[in-house]
Order: sequence, then structure tokens, then C-alpha cells
Amino acid sequence: MNITIRKVIKYAIIIVAVFPSFFPIYWMVSTAFKPPVEWVPKEPILFPHNPTVENFAIMFDPKAASYTSTTTIREPINLALQNSLILSIGGTILALFCGTLAAYAISRFKAGGDILPQMILMFRMMPPIAAIIPITIMFAAFRWVDTHIGLIVLYRLFNLPLVVWLMKSFFDEVPKEVDEAALVDGWSYWGTFRRVVLPLTYTGMAVTALLIYTLIWSDFLVALIMTNVSAYTIPVFLANYSAAYGELYGPLAATGTFAIIPPVVLGLAIQRYLVRGFTFGAIKR
Amino acid sequence: MVSLKAIKGLSNDVEKFPTIMMMPINILLNLIAIFPLFILVYAAVTNWSPSTGVWFKAHIIWGGNIIRMAEDNVLQYALLRTVGMVAVATTLEFLFGLVLALLFVEEFRGRRILVSIFLLPMMVIPAISGFMFFMMFQQHGPVNRVFSILTGMPFALPWLNDPSYALVSTILMDVWQWTPFMFLILLSGLLALPADPINAARVLGASELTIFRRVTMPMMKTIITIALVLRSIECFKLMDGIYIMTSGGPGYSTQTISMWIYEAAFKYLDYGYVSMIALTLFISLGIISWFAIKPLRGG
Repeated sequence: MNITIRKVIKYAIIIVAVFPSFFPIYWMVSTAFKPPVEWVPKEPILFPHNPTVENFAIMFDPKAASYTSTTTIREPINLALQNSLILSIGGTILALFCGTLAAYAISRFKAGGDILPQMILMFRMMPPIAAIIPITIMFAAFRWVDTHIGLIVLYRLFNLPLVVWLMKSFFDEVPKEVDEAALVDGWSYWGTFRRVVLPLTYTGMAVTALLIYTLIWSDFLVALIMTNVSAYTIPVFLANYSAAYGELYGPLAATGTFAIIPPVVLGLAIQRYLVRGFTFGAIKR
Repeated sequence: MVSLKAIKGLSNDVEKFPTIMMMPINILLNLIAIFPLFILVYAAVTNWSPSTGVWFKAHIIWGGNIIRMAEDNVLQYALLRTVGMVAVATTLEFLFGLVLALLFVEEFRGRRILVSIFLLPMMVIPAISGFMFFMMFQQHGPVNRVFSILTGMPFALPWLNDPSYALVSTILMDVWQWTPFMFLILLSGLLALPADPINAARVLGASELTIFRRVTMPMMKTIITIALVLRSIECFKLMDGIYIMTSGGPGYSTQTISMWIYEAAFKYLDYGYVSMIALTLFISLGIISWFAIKPLRGG
């Protein structure tokens, strides 16, 4: 009896908690399927009365709008989508490359002593906004503002600490005896790393890559400051249009829904490793 | 191919191999991190702004920017507000996360799927959660509607147009987005606890509350510290959602330190002054985080 009551209370709390946790996402997704009259009525509409995919069509082709509005999204999402993909993939590959090499050296050879790994971690703790002013100056000199190369370099910089610490935690899990056995067998240090140890951490690399991809895809601040007309990403695209055409809830909600699909899918895919990812490998479960 | 051969040649040298492995990261750190730091230190003692010309021709005013910071109320309030938001949001996230995590410790039907559902908010792009809450907090939006159904009377709070409500909304957004983070870390900590001490306490007749306070919590100390440290550091950077939801307004009521630096730098183009603020932040946060990340490097 007592146990049943406790179970009921438990389920009740969970159900009450699910509502606020899930509703904001539901609200945006459902707004994405609503026609203009249902966007901001006097009484909020829970389920779209006349579901439509027009908002998604407008997102890719602004001329597809069946209604006339004084303010319409004048630009399709295509360029932003392309930029987001290029930057996320490019930044991930570069960060993973540099970070993995360093992580192995730190894990096995204590490269950089005690100080360097901690300096790398501290860098991650700084607000990026504080670092970005001098970087803007330098990028202006390189003519790197609003270019893919500049943003990839920046994303690599901001995500390196996570890659280094995460990959270090994966390398630390490979027993040192594996390296020693390979070295005794006549492998070079590089061969030991590349052919013996690295393949054992492929899962870790994949998890790290997906996490970094998600983080770059979700970045707003760096892209907001460093892009202008040619390299802007999806969050910046949304912010620009939400500022200029705030009342176009439908197409904006469609853009938002579209943008959160990759992070949500990837996040759920690496759910088992999220704790480790978000604690820089400190908690390994 | 020359470089590859060189790597192969050197890769049997225990001294040089780590150096080569560290090369990509070192080049990057020196080029993109150290060099700008010099620009930052230099700009911090000038009154440079793009309107006064190129940076190396700016007028050096030494400590002038520090005096300005001491007299700048907007900056000080932004800093205080950010610290307050971090304190409130982190506390709420911790409490909600802990309660949820405790409910999920025992296996029950639908646990896996429910955990995934509860984790969804932290996977949403922060900027887009700003847009979500911008919609939620409209005067005729769902939040007011839910309140009027619950209380039975018409509810039409101007959430985003009133300074104090706007601040509450931004904190709620952060709590919504990052409670899952606390939940996830605390749950993984709770699940990994050894069962023996808890069972022993139960056999000895301790009440559930006592077990929680005297056995569970002490064993969770490291994990709780890590979770709180990471969350407060991240929360201190808060900007993306606020930028879209309120842009720091109305007035300065939801302006965080990051928002303020952004506006001062890119709206008022006050580069010299902003550099000094950034430098101060770097030094003070550097000292704080050196101690704060201790549980992380402890391993």
C-alpha cells in the first residue's frame, strides 16, 4: 500500500515536470505548422487547426508565401545552412586532429607538464566574448572576418580544450601495457599511436566529434560577431530575422525547428557519453 | 611527403615525438591566443576606438580605463546582475535536477524514454531557446494562458516588457535549458554509488532522510562540486538566449556582462575600454577558475 502511494506520487511529480520541460519545444514545433492567423491569436492554440507546411516552404523559398505581408523573409535559409554545415564539419575535423595528437602526447608523455593541460582547460572557462575583441582586430588584419577559414580557426580554438581533455580521458583508459607491448614489438612511437592505440579509441573519437559538431552548430556568439553577409550561420540567420520581422512566428519557428533537429538527434545518439562530454572527461560514467 | 618522412624518422625519439604531437596545438595557441593577448593588453591602456584611427595610433591613457570602470554604473550593475542570475539559476537548476534525479534512481517502466525527454532542453540551440521563450512569454502566449487556467482569472503579465518580469523570464529560460544538465550529472552520480553503505544504513534502521543526508550526499560531494562549478562558469557567459529574447532590455534590466561587452564593443565601438574590461575579466576569472577546476583535474 505504502509503496503504491509512493509510486503514484513519483509518477505524478514526473508527469508534472515533463510538461514545462517539453512544452516550449512543442510550442515552437507546433507553431511551425500553423498558418498566419493561428500564430498570435487572443487565445493560444494548442493544436494547429489547419496544419500547413507552408512555413517550411517559405524557409527555403520566400516567394512561396501564399499570404502578403508588409514584412516577409527575403532570403532563403540555403546559404546559412551551407555555412553551418561547412563550419561545423571543418571545425570539428580540425579540432579533432589537433586535439587528439595533443591529448595522446599529454596522456602518454606528460607533454606540457602539469601546467599546459590546465591552461588549456582554463581557456575554456573564459567568456568567449572577452577573447573575441583582440581576435577581431587580428582577423581584420588577415581579412578573415566573414570567411569560412577564419571561423573554422576560431571554432577549432574554442573547442580544442574539450577535445584535448575528452580524448585524454579516452586515451587514459587504454592500458599503458598496450603501448609497451607495441614498442617492444618494434613499432615506432607514431606507429604505436596510429596503428595500435588510436583504433582502440575510435568510439571516443566519434563521440567527441559528434559533441563538437553539435557545439559548433549551436554556436551563436562567435558567428554573430565574426560574420556579416557571407558566412553567417543558422542561429544568426534566425536572430537577424527575429529582430527585423519578429511577428513572422511561423517561418521563424520553422527555421528553429529545422535547426534543432541535428543537435537533438546527435545528442540522443551520444546520450550515454554526455556526462563525460560535459564534465571534460572528469566523470567517466 | 618530406614532412611525413621526417615525422617517421623522429618518431623513434622519445624527446621529439611529444613535441611533434603538440605542434599543431602550440602553433594555434601562439598564433590565435598569445598574439591577441598582446593586442588586448595594449588596447586596454588606450582610448582606442575605430573612429580615432588605427589601433597603433591610439592615445595611451594608462589607467584611465580602470577609473572609468570604477565609475561605470551600467557595467557594475551588469556584473552584479550576472552574478545574481548565476546564483539563482544554478541553485534552482541544482534543486530541480536533484529532485528529478532522485526520482529516477530506481528502475521503473518508461525510465529510459523519460530520461531522454528530460534531456531534450539542453540539446536545443541556446539562441533558439531564446526564440522559444520569446514566443512563450508573449502577452497572449501560452505562459499567461496556463497561469489564467490555473488561477481561474485573466492573466496578462507583460513578461518581456517589464524590467523585473523580464529578468525572471531570462532566469526561467536558463533554468529550463540547463536543469537537464544537473539532472544528467546527478543521476549518473547516484546510479554509480555503491549500494553497500546505503543498505547497511537501512539495516541499522536509519530513516530515508537520514540516509540521504548522511550517506548519499557525502558520497556525492565531488560530483555535486563538479556540476555546480561547471554550471556556474557556463552560466556566467550567458548571452545567446537573452540576445534574441530581450536584447538586454527593457532598458538594461536583463543585461549580462557578456551582453554589455558585446554592446560596448560592437554598438558603441569603445574598443579600448572594452579591452580593459575583458582583461580584468580574464585575470579575475583566471584566478577563480584555477581553484574552481581543481575537482576536474583531480581525476
